[in-house]
Amino acid sequence: MSSVTIKNLQKSYGAVDVIHGIDVDIAPGEFVILVGPSGCGKSTMLRMVAGLEDISGGTISIGDRVVNDLAPKDRDIAMVFQNYALYPQMTVAQNMGFALEMAGHSKADIARQVARSAEILGLEPLLDRKPANLSGGQRQRVAMGRAIVREPQVFLFDEPLSNLDAKLRVQMRAEIKALHARLGTTILYVTHDQVEAMTMADKIVVLNAGKVEQIGSPLDLYDHPANKFVAGFLGSPAMNFFDATITQNTAQLADGQRVPLGARAGEVAEGQQLTLGLRPETLTLDPAGPLQGRVKLIEPTGSETFIALDIAGQDATVVLKDRLEAAAGDMLRFDVTQGRIHLFAAQSGLAL
Amino acid sequence: MKQMIAATRRDPVLMGLWLSLLVFALIWFAPFVFIVFTSLKSSPEIMTSGAFTPPGALVTQNYATAWNRGGFDHAFFNSVFVTVIKVPLGLMIAALSAYALARMKNRWNKLVLLFIVFGTMIPFQVMLAPLFTLVNSLGLVDTYLGLILPYLAFGIPYQIFILHSFFKSVPKELSEAALIDGASHFTTFRRIFLPITLPVMAALLILDFVATWNEFAMALVILQDADKWTLPLGLMSFQGQFSNEYGQLNAAIVMTVLPAVLVYLIFQRYFVSGLTSGAVKG
Ligand SMILES: Nc1ncnc2c1ncn2[C@@H]1O[C@H](COP(=O)(O)OP(=O)(O)OP(=O)(O)O)[C@@H](O)[C@H]1O
Ligand SMILES: [Mg+2]
Repeated sequence: MSSVTIKNLQKSYGAVDVIHGIDVDIAPGEFVILVGPSGCGKSTMLRMVAGLEDISGGTISIGDRVVNDLAPKDRDIAMVFQNYALYPQMTVAQNMGFALEMAGHSKADIARQVARSAEILGLEPLLDRKPANLSGGQRQRVAMGRAIVREPQVFLFDEPLSNLDAKLRVQMRAEIKALHARLGTTILYVTHDQVEAMTMADKIVVLNAGKVEQIGSPLDLYDHPANKFVAGFLGSPAMNFFDATITQNTAQLADGQRVPLGARAGEVAEGQQLTLGLRPETLTLDPAGPLQGRVKLIEPTGSETFIALDIAGQDATVVLKDRLEAAAGDMLRFDVTQGRIHLFAAQSGLAL
Repeated sequence: MKQMIAATRRDPVLMGLWLSLLVFALIWFAPFVFIVFTSLKSSPEIMTSGAFTPPGALVTQNYATAWNRGGFDHAFFNSVFVTVIKVPLGLMIAALSAYALARMKNRWNKLVLLFIVFGTMIPFQVMLAPLFTLVNSLGLVDTYLGLILPYLAFGIPYQIFILHSFFKSVPKELSEAALIDGASHFTTFRRIFLPITLPVMAALLILDFVATWNEFAMALVILQDADKWTLPLGLMSFQGQFSNEYGQLNAAIVMTVLPAVLVYLIFQRYFVSGLTSGAVKG
């Protein structure tokens, strides 16, 4: 395992800048996930680390080597592609052994290493099959097998689970995490699925439009988002935002409802315009609560109940642990969990 | 498979298509039947029986006579020699060039491809005279090389054009995975692209084999010594000399066509589609 250090990384395609100076430090053995909306430059960044895209500016180091000008094969990385990119006419074993063969390992050596990796991933029964005769989940696993056979310093994953069905994705999430715990290899993992990011990462890098919005541990980002973008991106369902004005230690919404600020009252000035952020699970049903909303839709998932509401003219979501007998159009009142209030500057969106 | 048969039975459009295919096949097949039948009849039988009546007693003598009288041993050897060198060599060059144009970064790629495609657009009849002048000035008239080089020049552009678009359609992640695995361009070509291109290559090989085997105009211009003639030239000369020996003439035709048919039968089994399936998903 190696550290990866990315300094002021830039990328432009002709006149179009896609990555605008990114700094990320990855410690040896760390599991780092890049998240962000589609088109924000995640894949581009990963491909630059892999050596598949030229670097327009800045440096990438793996261990203490600057790899900017190294060929992909000399960077000691392995990559798992979103579409797996298995060699169609080779068997699973040949797919897994290809890199070793290229590196000039002996046949016996290749067979031994392939067998060991196949055992780790439970691929033994599939070794003689061609990719066309595998299910999506098995192909995904083979793609991972091909990566781990080489014992690289760094694994690069580009949305490896996005072609799997929901159930398999949950299972593979756990397996990749277990694999990381077992091998201890540094991982740089790209996804646009914030659940994957939250559940798997040691450290999350939130990207937006080619810039870093925030870097930190999953719960740190969840509880202390640096700005409205991060707050809205992480968490499912997403955080509710309300335009508010500070009035007598409360945040007053557009229709006059007031949410008490509690301990945070001292941080803001009377009359200040800001955005109030409330996570769906921090709102609890309470007939005496300060927030009132009109039900638009109720979605029971079995374990939880999602309520889509109109609060002060803005769309909001509440997640309840309990079942709820209510219909569209009903008015409900909610209490706000103390200490879970987020405040953002109205203009810049920065957390206050 | 069962479902397909069932669908064929029910769907009137498919039925119609199938029927018209059958009609076309018969139209194409009729002369072939005529030729084979005639080649196996004696001269008197040819005069007295209908063209499509099967031969009474099989007369194989026509073949031996035609072979000897027409000097087919030379022509056959020449054709085999030229084709066996030209077809695989041309395909290899075309495949390598197409790979380079499709997968190796170079800002001139588009221009080169355009140039090559442009080359396919000029009818070669227009170029016959200049071609002869060129081959002549190189002192290659009446040589195998003098024929093989123009054959290559005219065959390769089409193949590059077709293979290039095929290589372009191979997911680029496949090349990238190979690059990360440490494969050179040549290894990537040989180990990954070539195997998945087999069906296309087989198709091109058959087409090119038939075209080269039957090529007449260029060979006529470049080969003047009868010893260097290829089969189509030999056949023409035979026809000129023995045009009333129908049995032998048709035997000569069968001998000329047979290798192309054999090559087709051998290579058509590589026309299996879907070789890339399973490489990537989504
Ligand atoms: N070859 C290219 N030429 C020009 N622009 C490109 C090229 N490749 C990518 N881009 C642009 O770079 C930006 C980042 O692309 P990238 O593929 O990294 O996005 P991403 O974050 O991986 O998105 P997704 O989640 O959809 O995969 C996009 O706006 C894209 O249009
Ligand atoms: Mg991407």
